[in-house]
Amino acid sequence: MKLKEYRGKELLAKVGIAVPKGVVVGSADEVKQSGVVKAQVVGGKRGKAGLISVAENVEDAKKAVGEILGKEYNKLPISEVLVEDKVEGEELYLSIVYDSVTRGPVIAFIKTGGVDVEEAGEAETLPFSANNGLSEKEAEGFAKKVGLDDGFAKLCLDAVECFRKFDCRILEINPLFKTSKGYIAGDCKITIDDAAVKRVEEFKDVEEADDPTFLSKMELEARKIDEDDHRGVSGKTFVELDGDIAVLASGGGASLTCMDALDEAGGKAANYTEYSGNPPREKVEKLTTLTLSKKGLKGCLVVGGTANFTDIFETLSGFCDGLLAVKPKVDYPIVIRRAGPRDDEAKKMVEEFAKKNGFDIIFYGEETPMTVAVKEIVKKVES
Amino acid sequence: MITKDMHVMVQGITGKEGSRATKEMLDYGAKVTCGVTPGKGGQEVEGKPVFNTVEEAVKFDSKLEATVCFVPPLFLYGAAKEALDAGIKLIVIISENVPVQDSAKLIEEAKEKGATILGPASVGIIKVGEMKLGSIGSEERMYTKGNVAIVSKSGGMCGETALLLSQNKIGQSICVGIGGDQILGTSFTDMFEILEKDKDTKVIVMYGEIGGQYEEEAAKMIKKMNTPVVAFISGQFAEKVGREVAMGHAGAILEKGSGSAAQKKKVLKNAGVYVANYHDEIVDIVKKLV
Repeated sequence: MKLKEYRGKELLAKVGIAVPKGVVVGSADEVKQSGVVKAQVVGGKRGKAGLISVAENVEDAKKAVGEILGKEYNKLPISEVLVEDKVEGEELYLSIVYDSVTRGPVIAFIKTGGVDVEEAGEAETLPFSANNGLSEKEAEGFAKKVGLDDGFAKLCLDAVECFRKFDCRILEINPLFKTSKGYIAGDCKITIDDAAVKRVEEFKDVEEADDPTFLSKMELEARKIDEDDHRGVSGKTFVELDGDIAVLASGGGASLTCMDALDEAGGKAANYTEYSGNPPREKVEKLTTLTLSKKGLKGCLVVGGTANFTDIFETLSGFCDGLLAVKPKVDYPIVIRRAGPRDDEAKKMVEEFAKKNGFDIIFYGEETPMTVAVKEIVKKVES
Repeated sequence: MITKDMHVMVQGITGKEGSRATKEMLDYGAKVTCGVTPGKGGQEVEGKPVFNTVEEAVKFDSKLEATVCFVPPLFLYGAAKEALDAGIKLIVIISENVPVQDSAKLIEEAKEKGATILGPASVGIIKVGEMKLGSIGSEERMYTKGNVAIVSKSGGMCGETALLLSQNKIGQSICVGIGGDQILGTSFTDMFEILEKDKDTKVIVMYGEIGGQYEEEAAKMIKKMNTPVVAFISGQFAEKVGREVAMGHAGAILEKGSGSAAQKKKVLKNAGVYVANYHDEIVDIVKKLV
């Protein structure tokens, strides 16, 4: 879960890191101070998108807030704006993430923070213990190494506390202002580990509204199919794309592999979605009807690895039910590659279904590699 | 890493997945002697006693060397920590969605104690024809005995790769799912170190995914290895779409500093790895090597 700036700053303040004095508003009328005016959205490049401005007085701040509230970010409306004191000072960069090389948490520091930090050179890094956190001695040593004082060492200790206490995946403070009065977090990006959100007291009341991704109508409907029935997964992830081959994939790694193969073979996917974990027939039916409701389709690919316990007969029965419900009747080719429990029965059922109802369906089982089936649908769509 | 004689316990043995896998492991020759589920002590699963704590399990069987964890993710840390404290040397974590902080803590502690963690989100490990740990399959049409090892971030693709090889009369030695999380107990590099010394392994097939630096780290090691490595890396399309968290596994989320599919392929090619563009190309490449 990615946090908006002000939510992140609330966490920083809890462990004693200084943040600029400010308030979050939802309308211009609520503004009572001047300073920096920033749209509260999840994501980067707000400055470049014209969503950050500086107001010298309260009137200007009200005006700026009004303007920002009328804008969109990533196709989503902006409903919250942070107005906070402007801070002057040297701009530094500090972040904490998990590193797959050390297989533990690591602090990174860059002397030249600010908007163009991505172009800055190598960061100074310091891995620390996941079990014990950062020791005072380590923090002081790191401060010395990067040419900063004990105040910076204290800031590192606080940031590590925040990172560990709130199960962060990413904690980034940029810019970190070095001022005559100490260090102040000018902006922050914090990502909380989705797997741990449930155990962090502070997030009990945070709604999913903080989810930064814009979802289309179709994507929301797919998500609803999954949420309405907790057996198996079907439609939890749905990404609308601009191609002409509808895709119903199964299994994490297999889905990635097949989407890559489709792309590599020159096919254009109309969507990406997945069902797995033995979902009931109706759940696959609904996802099929939704996926195939898209206009301009030229083919459909149902593909997955060899399932361990997903009932291929049941799930493909759901696919056939869904296919029948699509209006106007589907007249483009369909390639299926599924294997696993009851796949022989499924093949027989699908082939009879296709013959009876006049659909162009090829059914491949485990004898045909997944990526061969992928190439087949591309070939059929092209011809 | 695993032997036929090794005594094994199952944590979360009374659960649906735990009990199903216990039966399969026993059928395939693993010496599962007992299990642990807090609050279910005194029961039996597949004729094996269930205890409330690891301490009791170790008292019952002092030869326990390995544990396989089918524990809900937020309880996994406690369970695995108990096993580490009781001196268990191999901890296979099947649980998915384990908080990264918990994984990092456990891996750090395992290192201090000289123990090995496989996973989290591992499908398990199979020494074909001998024994297996975890929920990895073992049907004969999928896993046949031979000289190719498979190391995979994806559990499903581990089986799919084995199937592809078996259908083409290429057998396997050891197949392992290392999991797709950002922080892994056993990396490609760790597995390659073991496989390089394994006399039954002549070729290694690796299945990698975007995210993390494990493939890049593996490339450094492969340069020094004698055993040839064939790689398949997926996730290129997910990158192109650019929507984070959209597809596949948790570790395939593009986090800061993690490698793209194109970069991973390039680094591996430069290290002398045979990189397959399509998954089914693996067969032809492996055929030339065995």
